[in-house]
Amino acid sequence: MNWRKLRIFILTVLALALIPATRYYQIDVPLLHFLKGSRAIDPLTLHLAGEFVENNLGTEQGADGSVTVRMIAQQYLFVPHCILVPAGVPVHLRITSADAVHSLAFNGTDYNVKVLPGTISEAQLRFSNPGDFKTVCREFCGAGHYAMRSELKVVPREQFPVLRAGERGNCAAQ
Amino acid sequence: MRVKGETVRRNKRQGGYDWSFLWLAVAVVATGSMMLVASDSVPERIPSYVSWTPETIAAAYSGDDFRGMLLAKRCEHCHGAEGFSDRGSTPNLAGIDRLTIWKELEDFRSRKRTSRVMEPIAESLSSRDVADLVAYYARLPVFADLQDNRNFPQARPDPSHAGMASHLVSFGDGGRGIPPCQSCHGPVAYRPGVPSLANQNGEYVLSQLEAFAGGTRANDINMPMRTISSLLTEDERQALAEYYGAGLGLQPGSSSGAR
Ligand code: HEC
Ligand code: HEC
Ligand SMILES: [Cu+2]
Repeated sequence: MNWRKLRIFILTVLALALIPATRYYQIDVPLLHFLKGSRAIDPLTLHLAGEFVENNLGTEQGADGSVTVRMIAQQYLFVPHCILVPAGVPVHLRITSADAVHSLAFNGTDYNVKVLPGTISEAQLRFSNPGDFKTVCREFCGAGHYAMRSELKVVPREQFPVLRAGERGNCAAQ
Repeated sequence: MRVKGETVRRNKRQGGYDWSFLWLAVAVVATGSMMLVASDSVPERIPSYVSWTPETIAAAYSGDDFRGMLLAKRCEHCHGAEGFSDRGSTPNLAGIDRLTIWKELEDFRSRKRTSRVMEPIAESLSSRDVADLVAYYARLPVFADLQDNRNFPQARPDPSHAGMASHLVSFGDGGRGIPPCQSCHGPVAYRPGVPSLANQNGEYVLSQLEAFAGGTRANDINMPMRTISSLLTEDERQALAEYYGAGLGLQPGSSSGAR
């Protein structure tokens, strides 16, 4: 009887431990797909519905102090062009492509996120110190590729504007 | 064979199993729902109802240019008999690709692009009329015809403006993240719904750049032009308009702006 209880207990702990582990290592498991829904998205209709409509792009403030940043990569620019995030908080990046394969690299950091059309790329970032970063596309995407750059401004937490419901932060709002 | 009492006890143990799996299920579902991104619902702002699906492209290419020619009599007064306007503020339509004209007319129809003049005109057209007009204008030749009093091309800009504009057209500005105009507007590369500017009136180009920068024109899908134009200085917008208005947009390669 004790053995069985112990076995159940260990299995439960392992099963639960799997969830943060897959989150941390961003492992793509079917279970997560099942729980979170598919990450497939039609690159041709981003502007019509869903989380990448214009007014949902930019920085969203979470209730727990973290922020979610949504961006679109397209030939040959990132929108929004300038991203504003507070320093020292978890930044959940969600980005997708409207056309080709791109990548979003933050100069001076080792973050480099691959962006594919048809799927949402997610990454968990954190910028501990305020500063300005140039972000560049590191995946050759066509004629205007080398000019495909944008900016990321990291500001001290107290300088990040308080956003109204439904409002998204960007550099212009600072 | 077992005694009855034993079987009952076993079943109780079995019940213990079920109970623990229930717990597991609850834990998994709870964690899963916690991971779902809670998104507050805000009405979405849609720049244009057009999207470049194969169906849309097929519709834009379904027109009959002869019928379009007859319909275009209504447009002549402003857009010119040969698709070149005699006013700098009215766009030339000759040789503009089908997808662009189709999208702009659809956007005027749905009021996603505002124009006091074009909205009622576009609204009076049927879907078939739009496709036919598009077929006609896309086919019109763009070479110079000195018979009509077209506004295009205008005088060349001064060398400093010409140099500034040609640099932006060919190379953009990597430092500020401005892609070269010719990587979308041609002749280096085209994208669906991006017009050639090689035969466009300077005054119109300037008015559109300012409208994009100011947000009064907001029908570009995924905001490329609103983003790019607001990164440009006023002087650069002026220089680019003069450059295209003088017909210099033809130079980087192709012999005509038509596709
Ligand atoms: C009374 C003058 C007038 C008439 C008639 C007219 N247009 Fe226009 N059209 C304009 C003006 C002015 C604009 C520029 C609108 C703006 O400033 O946004 C324009 C813009 C357009 C555009 C957008 C071009 C671009 O490059 O984005 C298209 C397409 C167009 N017209 C098609 C037509 C068609 C087809 C007809 C005939 C059925 C027509 N127009 C009749 C004045 C006119
Ligand atoms: C990333 C691609 C891209 C680049 C680079 C780009 N444009 Fe555009 N541009 C577009 C698109 C897409 C449209 C059509 C918007 C729409 O759907 O109505 C457009 C429209 C325009 C128009 C309006 C044309 C008309 O007939 O109504 C002008 C003017 C213009 N762009 C100027 C420029 C200039 C000048 C540059 C260089 C500084 C430039 N664009 C760079 C994508 C681009
Ligand atoms: Cu790219």
